[in-house]
Amino acid sequence: VHVGRLIELDLDSDGQDAKAQVEQMCERLLANPLIESYEVQPAPGEAS
Amino acid sequence: MARVGVVVFPGSCDEADALGAANRTPGLSAEYLWHGDAGLNGVEAVVIPGGFSYGDYLRPGAIARFSPVMDAVAAFAREGGPVLGICNGFQVLCEAGLLPGALLPNAGLRFVCRQVPLTVERSDTQWTAACEPGEKLSIPVKHSVGRYFAPPQMLDELEANGQVVVRYVAGHAFNGAAREIAGVSNHAGNVVGLMPHPEHAVDPLTGSADGLKLFESAALVAA
Repeated sequence: VHVGRLIELDLDSDGQDAKAQVEQMCERLLANPLIESYEVQPAPGEAS
Repeated sequence: MARVGVVVFPGSCDEADALGAANRTPGLSAEYLWHGDAGLNGVEAVVIPGGFSYGDYLRPGAIARFSPVMDAVAAFAREGGPVLGICNGFQVLCEAGLLPGALLPNAGLRFVCRQVPLTVERSDTQWTAACEPGEKLSIPVKHSVGRYFAPPQMLDELEANGQVVVRYVAGHAFNGAAREIAGVSNHAGNVVGLMPHPEHAVDPLTGSADGLKLFESAALVAA
């Protein structure tokens, strides 16, 4: 069984700042790196 | 009289039994600690009880680790203070990085509530000091996310360091736990977490009083 979840985040920052923030959120809370993997994608059409 | 603090999060549900189990143990007196408090009120041992802290949203135990009281618990644990996590409390301690590993959904994907036989692998932790090495305990489980998991290398390290505290007796690891692990400790042995509920096994009338052994251990260590 494989279960995933999609989390959409609206951030005030963008670019590298936003990526760093989201990575930190993933490591600390949104995923448990021991048992879960994650992937971060900028939303299509939004600032990258 | 050693004072035991039982942490209460929004969604905890076994705090009353944990308080009662400590209070019926000679040498212990228990009180509640609120999740929003930044201190531990000077207690000498801490129990993180079972339940569904913060609704167990995201993952069981994932949100509770950010509550103010957990900073105090982490500092207390680092100083060697005895901390016991039961069921959801075990999940909270794993998520907080105070214990190794993680808990996954049961192999059968179902909630299981039953009495299980356990073997005490380590009788020298602060929560099993009153047990004999290899002693068998009958303690109930009630969870749907309790399959202990750690990568093989971490499991080898845990075994080598003697951090596997209790195992399900062979053939009774109903949840598919790695190496039949029911509970582990940190490296120092002062922080212990387990899925079975010792606080529910405190009177032969309801099946077993074996759970008191863990609380008696805390009393023994504090004495």
